[in-house]
Amino acid sequence: MFRTVSVALILMFFAGAASAHASEQGFVLLLPTDVYIAAGGATVALTVVLLAVLPRRVAGALFRPLPCATWLPRPHPVLGLLAAGVLMWLVWRGVSGPRDPMLNPLSLSIWVVFWIALVSLQGLIGDLWRWINPWSGMAALVARITGRGAPMRYPRILGHWPGVASFLAFASFLLADPAPADPARLAQAVIVYWAFHMVGVLLFGGPWLLRAEGITLLMRSYARMGLLGRARGGLALGLPGWQVLARPMPSLGLAVLMLILLGSGSFDGLNETFLWMGWLGLNPLEFPGRSAVIGPNLLGLLLTNLGLIAVFTACLWWGARLAGDGSGISLLIRRYAPTLLPIALAYHIAHYLTSFLLDGQYVLAWLSETLGAGHVHVTAGFLNSPGPVRLIWMTQAGVVVAGHVIALLLAHAIAVRAGQSARRAALAQAPLALFMVAYTVFGLWLLATPRGA
Amino acid sequence: MTTPTKTATRRGALKTLAGGAAAASLPLWARYTHAQSAEPIRIGFQQHRTGIGAAYGRWYGRATEAAVGLINANGGITGRPIEIIAEDDGTDPKRGAEVVEKFANQHGCDVGFGTLFSHVVMGSAPRAGELKLPYFVVSEGTHVSSGMLNRYTLQPGITDVRSQVIAMAPFITDTLGKKVTMIFPDYGFGYDHRDALGPAIEAQGGEVLAKIAIPPSETSFTKYFPKIPRDTEVLYHVMVGPAVLTFVKELGEFFGGRGPELFGFIDSLEAVAIDSPGLDFLEGSHFWEGMCRHQQADESAHETFYREAVGVNARGASVNDPADVSTYGHMFGCWETLHVIKAGMETAGYRGPQDRAALIEAVEAITDMPHSREHPQGAKRFNGKTHQVFGHQYISQVQNGTLTRVHTTAIEDSVYPDMVDYTTQAF
Repeated sequence: MFRTVSVALILMFFAGAASAHASEQGFVLLLPTDVYIAAGGATVALTVVLLAVLPRRVAGALFRPLPCATWLPRPHPVLGLLAAGVLMWLVWRGVSGPRDPMLNPLSLSIWVVFWIALVSLQGLIGDLWRWINPWSGMAALVARITGRGAPMRYPRILGHWPGVASFLAFASFLLADPAPADPARLAQAVIVYWAFHMVGVLLFGGPWLLRAEGITLLMRSYARMGLLGRARGGLALGLPGWQVLARPMPSLGLAVLMLILLGSGSFDGLNETFLWMGWLGLNPLEFPGRSAVIGPNLLGLLLTNLGLIAVFTACLWWGARLAGDGSGISLLIRRYAPTLLPIALAYHIAHYLTSFLLDGQYVLAWLSETLGAGHVHVTAGFLNSPGPVRLIWMTQAGVVVAGHVIALLLAHAIAVRAGQSARRAALAQAPLALFMVAYTVFGLWLLATPRGA
Repeated sequence: MTTPTKTATRRGALKTLAGGAAAASLPLWARYTHAQSAEPIRIGFQQHRTGIGAAYGRWYGRATEAAVGLINANGGITGRPIEIIAEDDGTDPKRGAEVVEKFANQHGCDVGFGTLFSHVVMGSAPRAGELKLPYFVVSEGTHVSSGMLNRYTLQPGITDVRSQVIAMAPFITDTLGKKVTMIFPDYGFGYDHRDALGPAIEAQGGEVLAKIAIPPSETSFTKYFPKIPRDTEVLYHVMVGPAVLTFVKELGEFFGGRGPELFGFIDSLEAVAIDSPGLDFLEGSHFWEGMCRHQQADESAHETFYREAVGVNARGASVNDPADVSTYGHMFGCWETLHVIKAGMETAGYRGPQDRAALIEAVEAITDMPHSREHPQGAKRFNGKTHQVFGHQYISQVQNGTLTRVHTTAIEDSVYPDMVDYTTQAF
């Protein structure tokens, strides 16, 4: 047990990607998860009560950053070029390397290193993506060679909406493609996505990357959750979420993207559950495979996101009415959407923790074989014993609850900053708080309920 | 292994020499084909790498790797090494068919191999038949011998559910009791057991008192237990899926150690440690095992060799991590099937895809396979007409947290009348 936990902890510093093990779920089902879920919901509810009675500035004060350097490290364009080179090499390996996704560096890099680990680290630490953005280096190089800026001006009227579409395309591939880990198929998807946005960047310059490219928008959004960030020209450190308060309010398109991050993440969990399969009339013990659910998954992704946007908007509208706040709905969405980032990030980390621990071993195995350091045995042993399974589940639950508590604190601080008294802020947030308590319970239920895909 | 290997290598070398002499008189295209024979034998491994079969896929991969390592170290097949081309099918029938297509059209595989989940076999086999790709499945399903598939699909390395169930029946009625109640999941897998066990128990003078079907999505079972007739002597359970541990726990709590005898299939607990907390109620109960997960006092040297080659300890778990329990009751099928492919190719003098029909005929002609390194699970008898192998089945009892074999069935106990004769189908 100790050894298993140690292995798990060591792996957490690397990265992980595939389906959960049946026996792990068997042990989760033996845990008193009902009690844990109730406790999680109660913790978040208690935070709501505390915020209503504590002095109004408390939440804001928690997020005050500490300066830790007067300078700001700047990424050299060569790094971006290097990242693009690595990506091209990975695509080539996707086409020419092993067909087994657990042995192919492209599948491992995209789904384990990037999607699970890097996205999580981006949210936990800060903007790492700007150092390895595979478009920025090329754009800088072309600009230097031609000595000119982008030939066309990005149409401002489009705002961040192309980025929303771009992220939805990525999410659709992740959730509805029959074989997103298949190296050859993934290589095609990656090269098409990269080339499309490279053309956009060459035509419209940096603004394309900041408004129309979904992955960069996702990463920049999650960077707002990082401990480290920019403040007054230097580097500062603060409680996760401090940058949400420090940054300007997002545009409506970007705010909607933040909602979609949460909605898509939630559907990522929901589409594996017995409940969802029951709705589709599928037998979860004999799941017919992803090929059979392309349409339902696309529809589910769309409906989950629309549903989330509708419920969130309704909560804001209702809260504003209770508090007598005359702000328009668009302004309210822009103001409060970033408060959902900690929930989305927490769920991302929790949802993929098991995959990370298992598939991260394949990354280590690949690295070890490539560097000639010998064979690494990939084990699922930690999923076959109640002790480690309980530890993993409690970690996931802890992360989810912490995400919701931070979300509530942020929402409160934003309401207070908008000029509301503590009482009014509490009133305005009552529906949103209710939503967050309910979402805590939903998120924990997703982790506890049996899955069949 | 040394002697047969040497023989195989010598035989392979002779064939190559003979082929070389003949090649001079062949047309150009045929010479080209022959030149290719220095190349490896490509075996497309249809692996459940992702999806619901991933835990099985991982261990099927290890057994395959070990068998290929052994065969290659001993000269390969007719002097040519085996190259495994693993493709993930996502445990998805439609992708299964696509993978089979890739094997035939893209990777130039000689045969396809290794599929476990029945629905993937059902989805892939028709395509293998159309593409005339010999397709060796390791699935346990009765679909091969039922006649639903085609001449290109064979199951020579693992027995099927029907034969397993009917072989169990005499032990159940003679040793545990004649009044049986069945609990099974309410879909195909459960029905296979339901439909096979009832007649087999009745043939032994026993009686199936009740057949309790549980919805596949059920996660709490206590409400079903009062349906078990009071005079039940044996409770036959074949629950699978994530809720199986809950099922066992609730069953134990319901009966409190005073209930009927329990008889189950190891499928329920493949890759799960039998001495896990919560499974204490299984102490004293009986299980069918395809191969005895825990090392028995009288384990054969062949099986010990196999255990070491695959990297499995005396508890059926990885030697690298004792918590990583293998799918021991099934994965031997990969090892044995690869050896059947080797035997079939060598008999057929297999050179390339043009000899695929000859390979199938050679495998169809196989009858008895003695207990050996190639067949560490035990002796087997292949039925060339139905493309299905028959073998010994093992019944183990949980004694002090260890699965201890208490009965071995004869091959004859598991045989049933032919339902098809694939040899009458044209290639």
